[in-house]
Amino acid sequence: MWVQTLHLSGAHGWEARDSAPLRTPELVFVFGPTDLMRASPAPRDLATMFPDAIQIGCSTGTSVDGVVLSDDIISAVAIGFGQTRVRLVTHALGEAGHSRDAGRAVGRELAASDLSAVFVLCEGLGVNGSALVEGLSETCGDDVTISGGLAGDGQRFADTLVTVGGKSAPGIVAAIGFYGSAIRISHGSAGGWDEFGPVRKITKSDGNVLAELDGKPALDLYERYLGDEAAALPASALFYPLKVWDPSRPEDEVVRTVLSIDRETRTMTFAGDIPAGWSARLMRGSFDRLAEGAAEAARHARRGLESVDPGLCLFVSCVGRRLLMGQRAEEEVEAVARELGSAIPIAGFYSYGEIAPHNMSGVSGLHNQTVTLTLLAEVA
Amino acid sequence: MSGLTLLQRQIEKSRLADGEIDYAALKVLIAAAYDEKELDRRRADRASRLVAEELQEALASMEVQNMRFKAALDNMSQGLCLFDGAGRLVVGNRRFGEIMELPANPCCVGASIGMILGRSGALARADEMNRRLLRAEFESLDRVRGGVLEQVWPDGRIISITRRPVADGGFLDTLADITETRRAAAQIAHLARHDALTDLPNRVLLRERMVQAIRDCDRDHTAAVLCLDLDRFKLVNDTLGHPVGDALLIEVAQRLRKLVRDGDLVARLGGDEFAIIQRLMPNAAQPETLAKRITAGIGEPYFIDGQLVQIGVSIGIERIHDGKADPDEVLRNADLALYQAKAGGGGFRTFEPSMHALANGRRQLELDLRAALDAEQFEVHYQPQVDLVSGAIVGFEALVRWRHPERGLVPPADFIALSEEVGLIDRLGVQVLRAACRDALQWPEQVKVAVNLSAVQFRSGRLVNLVEDALRETGLDASRLELEITEGVMLTDNASVFNQLRQLKRLGVHISLDDFGTGYSSLSYIRNFPFDKIKIDQSFVRELGASADSLAIIRAVAGMCGSLGIATTAEGVETDAQLQILTAEKCDSVQGYLFGKAVPADETVALFRRGPFARAA
Repeated sequence: MWVQTLHLSGAHGWEARDSAPLRTPELVFVFGPTDLMRASPAPRDLATMFPDAIQIGCSTGTSVDGVVLSDDIISAVAIGFGQTRVRLVTHALGEAGHSRDAGRAVGRELAASDLSAVFVLCEGLGVNGSALVEGLSETCGDDVTISGGLAGDGQRFADTLVTVGGKSAPGIVAAIGFYGSAIRISHGSAGGWDEFGPVRKITKSDGNVLAELDGKPALDLYERYLGDEAAALPASALFYPLKVWDPSRPEDEVVRTVLSIDRETRTMTFAGDIPAGWSARLMRGSFDRLAEGAAEAARHARRGLESVDPGLCLFVSCVGRRLLMGQRAEEEVEAVARELGSAIPIAGFYSYGEIAPHNMSGVSGLHNQTVTLTLLAEVA
Repeated sequence: MSGLTLLQRQIEKSRLADGEIDYAALKVLIAAAYDEKELDRRRADRASRLVAEELQEALASMEVQNMRFKAALDNMSQGLCLFDGAGRLVVGNRRFGEIMELPANPCCVGASIGMILGRSGALARADEMNRRLLRAEFESLDRVRGGVLEQVWPDGRIISITRRPVADGGFLDTLADITETRRAAAQIAHLARHDALTDLPNRVLLRERMVQAIRDCDRDHTAAVLCLDLDRFKLVNDTLGHPVGDALLIEVAQRLRKLVRDGDLVARLGGDEFAIIQRLMPNAAQPETLAKRITAGIGEPYFIDGQLVQIGVSIGIERIHDGKADPDEVLRNADLALYQAKAGGGGFRTFEPSMHALANGRRQLELDLRAALDAEQFEVHYQPQVDLVSGAIVGFEALVRWRHPERGLVPPADFIALSEEVGLIDRLGVQVLRAACRDALQWPEQVKVAVNLSAVQFRSGRLVNLVEDALRETGLDASRLELEITEGVMLTDNASVFNQLRQLKRLGVHISLDDFGTGYSSLSYIRNFPFDKIKIDQSFVRELGASADSLAIIRAVAGMCGSLGIATTAEGVETDAQLQILTAEKCDSVQGYLFGKAVPADETVALFRRGPFARAA
């Protein structure tokens, strides 16, 4: 397995960052700002350059290229395998209520006895990410790990695109299947957010739409905590993710992030279900603790590969972390690089939802407000 | 370290293609980083402040909640104390402190139950041994079945203590002062077995003690039951009112208590009926002795509300001979003996088996009486009343006769009292009244018919209507009907009787006072009511010639009536000598065997055909 990090040079188009001659990859990842992904010729150029390679990517507010974050350029990484086969499946998402069906359909197409892992990218707004991953898991097999993320759009929350073969479009899901016994894939996922304030009761909700906490509109609470920054809702709600859990199973807690708000009905729509009767608690992040979270994710992922050295780190982090940390968001990537070793190439994006197996249970699912890492390696 | 890294990154980002640093761009980055840091600081500040506010609100609401809990706990009627798993008091309410009489309220948080009991002022009053016992019981309540304990505390309070385990291994004790509840229960139990007025045992307790007395019966220990009924009590009640009657009963009860020995039982069965269970031992007083003592004791005068009251008592006695006697039968026998004593005019009687036969005979007579009323077996006979001036028959006294198909003619003395007693007198009275009115129609217009009324007939309040109905149905002129009452009628419920008499008089009916001279002969009756006639009792007539007193009385009555304009009739005239005296004393009319016995209605008409009786010379 080999990896070449690509970058756009004004004069020469795509080049290898290390200025080495371009090789012929089997798989190319590409991430960039929504507007560029839609309008720039760069993704198409990649497809033209590597006609036999599978090219997959998505829009994002911030792409990750090594330890550098960028809000305004497209970055790409090319990968060649020894024995591993890769396959691409795309599917229209339909409405959010059909996310599970879309996941099932993709999983069915990918399923094979030697399918080892799946990396999935999906439209980031009109989707129920949890349901999508569940659908995928149902059909592609229990022992297949799933990671990836939902396309992002920075703090705009307007458009999210998935790119396949140089073309970017909303409303689709695209997944890569990794086949064969040579591929090694491991994952790590961590938050680093701190709970604070009182434990609240979810007193009124419908699916992933939260109406009331402790009998009062949830939006009131967010507006109160955000102060002036309430004007930047829903993006600013990411400063305060919501941890929710069933009081009868307090160990199974999940972190939910806001996708949209409705100022008239005073409701908030989250990326996953917010069941009435559950408990909830606000969370907040500090720069150092979030960066430490990223380091923890890296350590966990590294352990998963055991003695094999990773060839590539796919980095998917939550847009909320980016918004909160600002320039210091790069410390997340640096923390990962420090843990993995600076020679390991890192590529990725800030997303509207991270997908990875749970650190403890190994069950794949949607995460919010986390850094999730997918390490790729191949053995002879 | 990360700050340094940030600056390094910023410098790298600001480096131009030629390696020089674009300081303007660097400044922008650094300023932005400061802004971000400042923003983050402000967010953190705001979040901390809001969390503090929320906590404050939560605390305030908890305080309110706590206050409500405390108010609820402190207003419970039960004492409550909660102990934790280590046996230390977590919370005790005000009532708990009050019941225990603990020095401080709220009490002793953190103390063990043993320490709290040691501080209890209520338990401190017990003597050393009792205090230890009460504390030991209380402290080991967990081992008591059901976790409920009742203790009598040194001040007499009865405290119910309940212990329930709680989830953390502790326990919750509730204390209730149930003294009043127990007292009320005892009171209710007492009331169920005692008479409310006199506080004597009632029939229920009497029966229980009789069962016991019968069970205890052996050769040396027997018992007797005495049934008592006060004589003339009804009269006291009717004339002096119920409050006096009640006071009299209370005093009778007190006297009876003093008259019996300890161990004997005096019970009130209701009304003016009492019963006594007397324990008998060899060589000790016998029931007849006790009965005599009671007769004397009860017969002593009473002073109630400034009134002198005198009553008597009738007593029936039955002995309990063995342990197999039936208590109900013993009581029934004593009651039969009492009835016999009453029928004999008072005193006491001891039960004899023959009394059953008498009672049975009376019961049979009652049945026959009812049947006779249904079959209208009663006949009315008439005894003429003769005017002493004209010698003409001026009236007849209607006298009822019962022709029994088997017993033959039954005398009125045998059935009038019984019909009064069993409530048949009204029906009998109506039958007689109708027959008399109907029969009088066949006599000359100036001839009256006199019908006797019993005191009992005044009680129903329907008498006036019944008389009116009889007159209307038969068509007899009211002025031809004469109703005879005795003084006894006026002894009971005076006002009502006079009221009815006045109504009768308004109908046009004549009212005469019968048997005058035998009772109280109170002149106030004559003053209070305008009687049309007074009938001088036959006992005076019978003794005319033999007793000077009789003549004097007859003369006085006749004289008085003459001047008051009241007619007089002398009864029981049997001889010419009597007739002559009565004529001389100016009686208006006479009645007696001399002029004929009472005869059936169809024989009366013949009497008019024989012309006037000879006048006394």
